[in-house]
Amino acid sequence: MREALTIVLCALGLVFTLSGAVGILRMPDVYCRIQCSSKTITMGALPVLLGLVVAEGPFTAYGGRVLVVTVLLLIVNPAASHALARAAYKDGVPMWSGAVIDEPEQKTRRARRGRRPTRA
Amino acid sequence: MHELYIVVAIAELAVGGLLLVRLAVGPTTSDRVVALNTLSTQATLSLLFFAAFADRTAYLDVALWLASFSYLGTLVWARLLERDLL
Repeated sequence: MREALTIVLCALGLVFTLSGAVGILRMPDVYCRIQCSSKTITMGALPVLLGLVVAEGPFTAYGGRVLVVTVLLLIVNPAASHALARAAYKDGVPMWSGAVIDEPEQKTRRARRGRRPTRA
Repeated sequence: MHELYIVVAIAELAVGGLLLVRLAVGPTTSDRVVALNTLSTQATLSLLFFAAFADRTAYLDVALWLASFSYLGTLVWARLLERDLL
């Protein structure tokens, strides 16, 4: 039972990891790639780690540390992905030509239009 | 069960090999940092499974350190890009 659950979780995680890596290779611009990367980490790494916890038990030397790694990944990776996406945007990395909306750009333009003209 | 561990470890490394392509060709620095970030996660997973396969708890600490501090590299790169310091 436990073994079957481990195999299922590992297979699920590996499938997601592979699809995320293919996405990172094939996606057209850096923002889509960042999205694929964070999906790889959340949906690909967590099932695999949980599979190891299921196999070894949560209170063994392996399971305990794997749980710590799981929590760390859950906290740290969204933050890192967000910082990276923001930095790429501020750095002026161009979007894919098929992108339909650029919300921060619209927001700054609207703010600029609404502002009163400043004295020279 | 131990065969499963080494299979998963090797599979994670193989996916890391795919990411190396993006690391090599990525047109902008941000692309390379994305690939590097994902690659470090793959390395962590691979190390954890190799530790379980080889039955050495010492390797677990390496994976724990990698998981704790690999994101610092990403954050430093993000800072450099954001402030235009490159």
